[in-house]
Amino acid sequence: MLTSLLLSAALAASGTSAPADGTSWTIHADKVYTSTGKVHESALIVVDGGKIRAITPGVEAPRDVLKAAVVTAGMIDASARLNTGTSSVEQSSEVTPLVSAEFGVDVFSPGWGRLARAGVTSAFITPLNQNCIGGAGTVVKTAGDRSVKARTVEGAPMICGAIGSQPSQRNSSAFGRPTSFFNRRPTTRMGVEWEWRKSLFEAAQAKEPDAAQKVLLDALAGKVGVFVQAWATQDIRTAVFLKEEMAREGFGEMRLVIDAGAEAWREPAMLVRTNTAVVLPPVPAQGRTTDGSLMSVECARVLRDNGITFALSGHGASRLDLQAGLAMRGGITREQALRAVTLTPAQLLGVDGRVGSVEAGKDADLILWNGEPFEATTRPVGVLVGGHLALDPR
Amino acid sequence: MKSSLSQPLLALGATLLVASSATAAPQVDKTAVKAGTVITLTGESIPDGVIVIEGGRVTAVGAASEVQIPWDATVIDQPEMVAFPGFVEAHAARGIDRANETLDVAPFLDVKDSIDPVNFYFEEALRQGILTINVQQGNNTVIAGQGMVVKPFGMTVEQMMVKPRSGVKISAAPKGGKSRATQAQVLRGAFDELRLYLEDMVQRKKDGDDYDRREALYQGREVEGEAAKGKPLACSGWSVDGFERVPRGEVDEKREPLLRIVEGKLQVIMWCASPMDVHAALRVSEANGFTGNMTLALAPACWKASAKIKESGCSVILAGLEDEELDPITGESIETFVPKVFHDAGIPFALMSTADANRSLWYQAARCVANGIPRDDALAAVTTTPATILGLGDRVGKLAKGTDGHVVLFSGDPLDITSVVEHVILDGAHVYDRSKDVRVKQLFDGTRPPGTASDTSGEEEWPGDGDDPEDDDETENKG
Repeated sequence: MLTSLLLSAALAASGTSAPADGTSWTIHADKVYTSTGKVHESALIVVDGGKIRAITPGVEAPRDVLKAAVVTAGMIDASARLNTGTSSVEQSSEVTPLVSAEFGVDVFSPGWGRLARAGVTSAFITPLNQNCIGGAGTVVKTAGDRSVKARTVEGAPMICGAIGSQPSQRNSSAFGRPTSFFNRRPTTRMGVEWEWRKSLFEAAQAKEPDAAQKVLLDALAGKVGVFVQAWATQDIRTAVFLKEEMAREGFGEMRLVIDAGAEAWREPAMLVRTNTAVVLPPVPAQGRTTDGSLMSVECARVLRDNGITFALSGHGASRLDLQAGLAMRGGITREQALRAVTLTPAQLLGVDGRVGSVEAGKDADLILWNGEPFEATTRPVGVLVGGHLALDPR
Repeated sequence: MKSSLSQPLLALGATLLVASSATAAPQVDKTAVKAGTVITLTGESIPDGVIVIEGGRVTAVGAASEVQIPWDATVIDQPEMVAFPGFVEAHAARGIDRANETLDVAPFLDVKDSIDPVNFYFEEALRQGILTINVQQGNNTVIAGQGMVVKPFGMTVEQMMVKPRSGVKISAAPKGGKSRATQAQVLRGAFDELRLYLEDMVQRKKDGDDYDRREALYQGREVEGEAAKGKPLACSGWSVDGFERVPRGEVDEKREPLLRIVEGKLQVIMWCASPMDVHAALRVSEANGFTGNMTLALAPACWKASAKIKESGCSVILAGLEDEELDPITGESIETFVPKVFHDAGIPFALMSTADANRSLWYQAARCVANGIPRDDALAAVTTTPATILGLGDRVGKLAKGTDGHVVLFSGDPLDITSVVEHVILDGAHVYDRSKDVRVKQLFDGTRPPGTASDTSGEEEWPGDGDDPEDDDETENKG
């Protein structure tokens, strides 16, 4: 009874005769992986007004619906690094907590379409890594109406930065050279760490904190997440120790997410101890990544075995579905790989109320696959972003 | 100082992969490989199959119930694994010392002299199941040297060699610093110069001038026997009257490769970076009669010239799977999956691996399947088609009686994302065993190869890292 009701609702809402706004569809899939551990066989998904309205398993495919072998939630790239080139890095200071990546987003960049067609429906955009504390990141849909406002997904506030060699790259001391912009701190890894600690201490001890320090105080209190790029294990250590030091000082418990944690596999115990989540960078060609770190293929497997929360990322240059496949090569299951590119990043970024799984009421961010996801022999043949067809499966 | 550093590294490189060295181990005459599935690429796959290799050649392939394994054969029995003929790389400017030549026209050079047997590339090729590689000079050239087909195992170039003089790399796309017009001019000029030179030889013979013979003797070339005979020029593009009077041994060895090209005896691999280069390439090949012995190596954008390529009858090697261009007016990107265009046009195509180990030939073939090319055709593009392009169609790229004794044992289907190369049998010798590959172990689980610097198998201790009870006291003091 219920099924037939839903079905008729589906057919009413459906079809290839697309409604005026183009955000209402009916999709039939042999299998739906929901990202929450469920698999619906032979299911009908009704999308209406950009939202998932209903999922009905065990239904024959009606005519005139979008068809797929497998449907999953759209992927979320927690470190998409698609923005606006090097000019998106504010270099007037090495600590710029008030800067927001939101204002550097160019929705007309062809990179968005590229991501969307590859199945990435939301991306976390951060000020890049040339600053110690770069500023706020933002979650942006990869397709839909061409305005930043329409595409932004309100999530947990995040302050983004970097520990390692990047923030000090190109900087040099003023000695013996004509003065230039790059005559500035920090010039070493030590200097980067010192800038972080100094900023946090100054914020915590300020009698009258300024606007930037208030952001850092929120970060120290765990109200604003701290998203730190740290490739090598020495930099992950620095981030973790900083968090522990701040806690010992009584400044608060930071909510730490390590971005590009290529060497997170080396010392998982320290991540477990501090309840730190990790966003993994793309698997490199021959193990070596930035900052001289070695990313093992089994990195995701090690994190899973230790119960560490992890997401995968593509850094804009690499297909995220391939990264999920390579994580499977390293020993995790398809279900775990799916979670690491959908629900987990949604939870890390605080957008899981809207995206990250195939459930009624969530945004219709869906991938239609022509086979089992993340195999090299399959690909997204259809992609919906908020009900908009970013890639037409027909 | 330098040598004391590099020697142990070289020694390490040599010992890392080798399960049983072809040179050190006694000659294995007979090997039988039993596998859960044998993919022959000559028809249906064989469940529970056996491959018998004798004297380096496959002598039998079939079901275990039908093939008699010689009593004295070494048996490699892997019922969980999938046997595969090994991939064929149609064109790679890798494993050599400097891919590009500064001379514009240098067909007399040979990559034989620059192949480095211990280059990491060959080790990686073996690990990826690529067992036949056509090593060519790079694309930044006009007419480059001659390539060589090798297998990725051996301590000398001679041991690695499968086929010498496998072809000459020519580029229709401009070499660095040249415009397309200059490039075309130098390319045309090279063949014009050849014709003038051959005509001059004929004239000198008519004049009774034995300059060419003296020059040949001076260079130490053979001028007796076959080399003393003259033959008419067999070029369909142009002719040189009276060339039969010139003993072939007297042709300058610097020009001889170009003569072989125009006579259809030496393969050409023609690089095209844009569709317009395809037209330039075919113009020069038609004018000089070598379209029939030319293979086009193409950048993705060249799919637009597919109709012209189809007409020419040339096979193609595709460097890159996807073409993307931005519409100049709307800014929308237009994506084309290139192999599908050639597949649908019925043009034989081979795929190339990229420098990224995660996108080796298996991945290239798998992407073709993902984009709607039938699996058999996708596999052909990394095995039988490149083998045919290299003139080795009856030797490599498939498993059948008479082929070279190469078998790759995969942990699962070769195109599965989780499959890895477990074993490689090359000419009947077991040359790769993943369980002994310390580099792949490091890549997968981070374990450093034994004997390398700063082995971190023991836990490192840092005061203040919070791991020890004393750390707490220390931090209290600090506050």
